[in-house]
Amino acid sequence: MASSKSGSGAMTLERMSVEQLKAVKEQADMEVNLLQDSLNNIGTATTRLELATTALNDLSLRSLGSKILVPLTASLYVPATLQDPHHVLVDIGTGYFVEKTMPEGKDYCERKINLLKSNFDQLVEVASKKKNVADEAGVILQAKLKQLASSS
Amino acid sequence: MSSSNIRDLQRELENKANDLNKLQKDIAKNHQVRKKYTIQLGENELVLKELDLLNEDANVYKLIGPVLVKQDLAEANANVRKRIEYISAELKRLDATVQDLEEKQNSKKETIMKLQQKMQSLQAGKGKA
Repeated sequence: MASSKSGSGAMTLERMSVEQLKAVKEQADMEVNLLQDSLNNIGTATTRLELATTALNDLSLRSLGSKILVPLTASLYVPATLQDPHHVLVDIGTGYFVEKTMPEGKDYCERKINLLKSNFDQLVEVASKKKNVADEAGVILQAKLKQLASSS
Repeated sequence: MSSSNIRDLQRELENKANDLNKLQKDIAKNHQVRKKYTIQLGENELVLKELDLLNEDANVYKLIGPVLVKQDLAEANANVRKRIEYISAELKRLDATVQDLEEKQNSKKETIMKLQQKMQSLQAGKGKA
């Protein structure tokens, strides 16, 4: 269905005036940029979750009472002992936190990463389609401009 | 006579162009607000999904300013649901306004086009005469 749609899209692109083509190209470029931004955001979110997963894995290897340094600020750490290595507090968004056990916490991270990955894949598809439209419009626009230049 | 006519038309055209600009700004603003709400809606839905997955005896905390306050799971659930409802309603309202604004924008564009055509024909007539 998508391919037939893009085919008819090319047909209508051919018939457009230079101004219309310019508008279409601008719009498509804008959308491509927007999608690219979203992709970047998803990428950073995924890395953060992966970091959280490694942190959890690290934490789960420690035993009760082991010495740790807790960051109070970015540059100030205070020594402490680990009191409960089996429970974690997870930020699930909009200010809500949930107490979870270690495996639940890991499961949470994994689920979120999978969700983001599937979103990422979907977005990549949409973005590449949009990029094709933008490129197509660009090519036709160039051809039309050349035609205009040579005929005048 | 025709030159004053053209001047009038020009003034009208300018006014209409200003109106159009204002409309476009409103639409852009509306879009921004809409985007914000859409993001919030998505986040709230994720939270709701997460809350639904929890056991009934799970400990839920709400961040209020710098403090975490313990909250009932049922209460948290109701809160998030209410928020989703509110945001959805707000989104619907924004959709209606944006549609209205876009209709206005299109009619403005049309009147501007007509004005431009009128001016062009007047100027062409003046050029001949």
